[in-house]
Amino acid sequence: MKQKKGFKLRNVCGEHVVVAEGIENIDFSKIISMNESSAYLWEKIAGREFTAEDLSELLLEEYDVDEITAIIDAKAVIKQWAEAGIIEE
Amino acid sequence: MPNDNSTINIKQLANAEFLPHVTALIEEGHTVTLPLRGRSMRPFLEDGRDKALLAAPTGIKEGDAVLAEIQPGHYVLHRIVEIIEKQVTLRGDGNLGNEYCRIEDIRAKAIGFYRKGRTKVDSVNGLKWRIYSAVWTRLYPIRRYLLFALHPHVPQRWKI
Repeated sequence: MKQKKGFKLRNVCGEHVVVAEGIENIDFSKIISMNESSAYLWEKIAGREFTAEDLSELLLEEYDVDEITAIIDAKAVIKQWAEAGIIEE
Repeated sequence: MPNDNSTINIKQLANAEFLPHVTALIEEGHTVTLPLRGRSMRPFLEDGRDKALLAAPTGIKEGDAVLAEIQPGHYVLHRIVEIIEKQVTLRGDGNLGNEYCRIEDIRAKAIGFYRKGRTKVDSVNGLKWRIYSAVWTRLYPIRRYLLFALHPHVPQRWKI
């Protein structure tokens, strides 16, 4: 899976937000706020295909967690991103 | 912030922190879709229900709905009722009172509204807004009574 086009990570009021961005219009009614780790992952997989395993590896690199937690969290993040409508197959 | 349950929560930010970002994006040349809060632009716009499409504040004239910073950190999205030299008089459609600012305090112009959950915009150049504006602004002398009729507010002590 990969990021949908036109979702850019910005910092607004100290929050990491992903804003649905047309070339011109920025829609704050379709803005997704991310926590630190979600924003970190989002930046890392920008512009490329990724899997849950990829995210899990990234989490293991950056954070002090065990493999089982990492893969569970990776799948949870993917589920959230899918619900928010910001990723596609 | 989304946490480990999978519901998507709606987050509200204070105007004084958030709207400068909107202003910056407008200055960069973007348009911004902004969800609206408050009742000051009734009856056309309703609290929490509608969104404004904002663009750069060019060609500002009386009758335009604009986003203005009337005091540092204090923003309103109201209609211009009068411009004399550089002094602007604002009045929300759902308000009786005025605010004042300078032309330079206007941060964006509303070029349309998304009302009642629709994805089709009500443009400020369209007939609906223009007829509504022409009628509603002329009814100002009886606005108090119209607002009460449309949105009755009965003080607690009078409720049975």
